[in-house]
Amino acid sequence: MNFLTIFARNLKQGPQTEAFPLGPAFTPERLRGRIEFNADHCEGCRICERVCPANAIRFAKTPDGMTFDCWHNTCVFCGNCEFYCPTDAIHQTNDWDLSHVNADKFDMVEHGLIPNQKCVECGATALNTAPVIKNAKPPLSAEEYTELRARCPKCRAKYLKNRKVPA
Amino acid sequence: MSTHNVPETFSIPVGPLHVALEEPMYFKIDVQGETVSHIDINAGHAHRGIEYLTTKRTMYQNVVLTERICSLCSNSHPQTFAMAAEKIAGIEVPERGIYLRTVADEMKRVTSHLFNVALLVHLVGYETYFMHMMQVREIGQDMLESIFGNRQDIGAMCIGGVRYDLDDKSIAYIKGALDKIEAETKDIIKTFKTNGSILRRTKGVGVLTHAEAITCGVVGPVARASGVDYDVRREAPYAAYDRLPLVVHSLTDGDVWSRAMVRLEEILTSIDLLRVCLRDLPGGPVNINDRPDIPPGQAVTRSEAPRGEVIYYLRTNDTPQPERVKWRVPTFMNWDSLRFMLQDAKVADIAMIVNSIDPCLSCTER
Repeated sequence: MNFLTIFARNLKQGPQTEAFPLGPAFTPERLRGRIEFNADHCEGCRICERVCPANAIRFAKTPDGMTFDCWHNTCVFCGNCEFYCPTDAIHQTNDWDLSHVNADKFDMVEHGLIPNQKCVECGATALNTAPVIKNAKPPLSAEEYTELRARCPKCRAKYLKNRKVPA
Repeated sequence: MSTHNVPETFSIPVGPLHVALEEPMYFKIDVQGETVSHIDINAGHAHRGIEYLTTKRTMYQNVVLTERICSLCSNSHPQTFAMAAEKIAGIEVPERGIYLRTVADEMKRVTSHLFNVALLVHLVGYETYFMHMMQVREIGQDMLESIFGNRQDIGAMCIGGVRYDLDDKSIAYIKGALDKIEAETKDIIKTFKTNGSILRRTKGVGVLTHAEAITCGVVGPVARASGVDYDVRREAPYAAYDRLPLVVHSLTDGDVWSRAMVRLEEILTSIDLLRVCLRDLPGGPVNINDRPDIPPGQAVTRSEAPRGEVIYYLRTNDTPQPERVKWRVPTFMNWDSLRFMLQDAKVADIAMIVNSIDPCLSCTER
C-alpha cells in the first residue's frame, strides 16, 4: 500500500489511540483482570493459595470460619487460581480498573468467608464448604446436596457411603 | 584547522540506559573519529535473581514466574519449562494441546518480530513508518488480548497442555486478524526492499560474516541472516512443528537489513503455520486436567523463541520446588557477536546494530 492510500485511510478512520478516559477503553471479554471469589462454591481445598505465584491469596482460620483474602495489589493476574480451582469458586473478571487513592490501598482486597456451621447429625462445628461431589454416582439431587452440605466432613463421608448401597 | 593536543581516539559510554529498546546494557566504546575501534560490553544491570526464586516456588508457580522473565518471549519460557517438567514426569500432552501450544507460540513470534523491525525503522529515523508498523503490531496485540486476556503475559501454558481453548468464533476472529497482518507485512517487505532511507541506513551495516556467526555460535534470526540455516523448530521439532510446513528463511549478507528481512519473512511463515494449525486443529482435551507431582529427575529441553534457541535445564527432587532451573537464552549467544558487528561501524549506527540482534537483557541477566 503506498503512502497516499495509508494517508487517506487514516484520515477516514481518525486517530488510532483510544479515547479513554473520555470514551470506553478496548476491553475484550476474556481479559484477565480483578479476581472475584464466590464463597458459596468454595470447597476449601486451598489449591488457589498453593498455586498462586505471588502469594496474593491467603486463607485464615477465624472464630467465624475460614476467611479468603486476595490482595489485588499483590496479584499478578496470571489466572492460575481460576485454572486450578475445582469448583469455579474463584474467577477473573475483565475489570482492569484498579486505580485507587493511596489511603485505600489496604482495602484493595477480595474478601470472602466460609462460615462455620453445626453438623445436623453429630453437632460438631465444621466449615460450611461446598461438598466434593465430582465422583458421586448417581449425581446428587438438589435436596441431597443441601442435606450433605449441612454435615461435617466425617458425616458427609458417612452420608455418601450409605447412599451408594441402594443404587 | 590545528589538531593541537586533541587525542586521536576517544572513549564514549553508550548506555546503560537508552541504547535501542531502552534496555540496560553498557558499552564502553573507543572511537577514532566517527569510527568504532574497540568495544567493551558490560552487563548485569537487570539482574533480579529469578533463577534463585524458581527454587523457592513450586513447579506450578514457576510456570507463571518463568513467563515473567521476559515480555516478548513470554510464551517460550513457560513452554520450555513445562516441556522439561513433562519430560521428567513422562506426561503426554493431548493432541489439541500440542496444536494450541503452536498457535500461542507463533502468535507471539508475529508480534515480537513486528516490534523489533518497527524499532529498527524508528532508529533509522523514519518515525512515520514506525508509527504505522506499531499500528500493524497493534492488530496482533489486540488479538493476544482478546484470545488470552493479556497483551504480553498471555498465560497460555501449563504443565500438561495449555490453559486456553479456541471456539469457532475466536478462530474466525484470529483468521480475520491474520489476513490484515499478512497484507500489511507484505507491504512492509516491499517498502524494506525499495525505500531509499531504509536501504541506505541498513544495507552493509553491522555485518556478521558466516564464519564469525559460527565462531560466536549465534542463534535465531541473527544466525539465519548470516547464512547459518538453523531453526530448532526444524532441527528438534517440539509441539506440532513436525506436522507443519515450516519454511526456514536464511540470507547470506549478515547485515542489519538481512536480519530485519529474515524476521519479516518469518512473520509470513508464522501466519501460514497459524492458518494450518487452525485448519487441522484436532478435537479433545487441551490439557491433562490434572496436577501431578513431578518426580525427581533432570531434563534438558529447547525451543525456538522469537530471538532464537532457548534451552532449559531442570532438576527436580522430592520437594514440590525444583532443585535447579537454568536457562540459556538467545541473547546470551547473540550479544557476543556485537563485537564483530560494531567493529569499524559508525557511531550513528551503534543503536541500530544493537537493536538488530533483538537484545533481551531481562532474559539474559534475569
